[in-house]
Amino acid sequence: MKKKFGNKDVWIAYGLILPALLVFAIFMFYPFFYTVYLSFFDWNMIKPVKEFIGLANYKALFADPLMPLVIKNTVEYILILLVLNCVAPYVLAFVLSFVIKRGRGFYKGAFFLPSVISLVVGSILYLWVLNPVSGPAAILAEFLGINIPIWSKTQGLVIVVLSIITTWKIFGYNFIVIFGGVSGVPQEIIEAAKIDNVPLYKIFFDIVLPMSSATGVYIFIMTIVQGLQYVFTPVKVVTQGGPDNASSNIIYNIYQEGFVFYHTGYASAMSIVAMVLFIVLLVIEFRYVEKGIYYEN
Amino acid sequence: MRIESNLKWHILLILALFISLMPIVFAVSTSFKELSEAYSNVLGIIPDKPTLSNYLRIFQELPLNKITFNTLVVAATVTIFKVITSVMAAYAFVYFDFKGKNLLYFILISTIFIPFTMTMIPNYLIISQIGLRNNIMGVILPQLSDATGIFLIRQAMRSIPMPLIEAARLEAAGNFQIMANIVLPLVKPAVISTGIMFFINSWNEYVWPVLILKDTTNYTLPLALQLFVSSEGGTDFCLAMAVSVVTMIIPLGLYLIFQKYIINTFTSSGVKG
Repeated sequence: MKKKFGNKDVWIAYGLILPALLVFAIFMFYPFFYTVYLSFFDWNMIKPVKEFIGLANYKALFADPLMPLVIKNTVEYILILLVLNCVAPYVLAFVLSFVIKRGRGFYKGAFFLPSVISLVVGSILYLWVLNPVSGPAAILAEFLGINIPIWSKTQGLVIVVLSIITTWKIFGYNFIVIFGGVSGVPQEIIEAAKIDNVPLYKIFFDIVLPMSSATGVYIFIMTIVQGLQYVFTPVKVVTQGGPDNASSNIIYNIYQEGFVFYHTGYASAMSIVAMVLFIVLLVIEFRYVEKGIYYEN
Repeated sequence: MRIESNLKWHILLILALFISLMPIVFAVSTSFKELSEAYSNVLGIIPDKPTLSNYLRIFQELPLNKITFNTLVVAATVTIFKVITSVMAAYAFVYFDFKGKNLLYFILISTIFIPFTMTMIPNYLIISQIGLRNNIMGVILPQLSDATGIFLIRQAMRSIPMPLIEAARLEAAGNFQIMANIVLPLVKPAVISTGIMFFINSWNEYVWPVLILKDTTNYTLPLALQLFVSSEGGTDFCLAMAVSVVTMIIPLGLYLIFQKYIINTFTSSGVKG
């Protein structure tokens, strides 16, 4: 279909891409490799000389007594996040696409709304709403005879609260994109299944999920990418990693090592470990899910 | 029976919405309460004694006009550059054939998946070296382009029928004319929604500015907001909520105005080839 182009046209194409490429080269690709480079050095951002120490940063990292806790916290956080932001919106998108017809536009618009609000605002809102003594949630729960525990001082619960805050931000976007994928499943197939009295859960697992899995995988990856990016804000604003590092995770730890303790090389090594961890997660996911993916094109 | 089972789902959806939207309602309501009422009348949405004192105080205690202006400058500049560079690159990827096109596209899009922590230390060093630390220019500079924009606008351009472009080429229309007269009007909804999202995201950005900006007068709104939170307790929530309202009012307004465009763009942005 496309016409062959002359040399001049090719240069126009490169010219059009150049500005974006330049920004990425300077602020993405160069820093990426420089972080790898820095991870082999002992440096504090200020000293004129960086001292080459080989793999010592990595060795120190694996010997760090805090590391297992930090990684455990990170994985826990991601798991909760995946349930709240992949599973839940999938079910809601399914319901909204095929079960109920009314109010679709309203629900989509309303669910997306928190996504446009700053996470710092979100952190403060939930700090207020979930305040165990005077917050609205505590007062509502009191009617039901439930006490809200002092989560900010409770190991484990802190991570749940952090997940709730970032979920509040991520959910709407995920919901909208999954809705797009789910409603791409032809209505006739669903109707036919309904006429055959196939139960809803079967329609969901056997038809909708496999046929929209390309979108599902995209959202799965983005939830982890965004989730790790976003979690920094509530940790910094609400908990500062406390109590006793119970809410610290690998992203916040990198920030602390890099910008509070000025262990530049160590923080760089940790960034790389975090990325590898992330890639491993993706590979595991693909090994188990890839087979069932249905691509539209 | 049909209606009954639908009702069950509606209740579920409304409940989910209630959980996600109530905090915003509480925030607005608390920002108009006096501190004592905030604790005595927690669930009351309409304050018994509405007051503007929280808003007056935050503007007295902080250079909030300057901070809002900073936020606006950052968000507007970032948005304009991101949109322009995205439209240009997307146009090249859709309407030109050149060597290494797919590889280049793949490399650019892969930046979406690079964790922020892999770039923050070197970027901090670059910005410090060129003397832009504690300066909103230092916040802006690394954000002048965005792979998500290239992706979304390319998707939109690909849905324009190619014969339309071919016809224009046959009539000897130049690239600039084709872009301005045919392509841009047709991808306008995608460009607008991408632009609005860039603006909102940049307005809300926290992680990078908190590394770069040191003085309160150079802050953006999310950083100013954080000044009102004390993890030790003793946060004045009335003031914090007032700053929260100031911080979220522009993104919310933009969203309500452009909601249709935004929802449609993201609904169709799923993985489709």
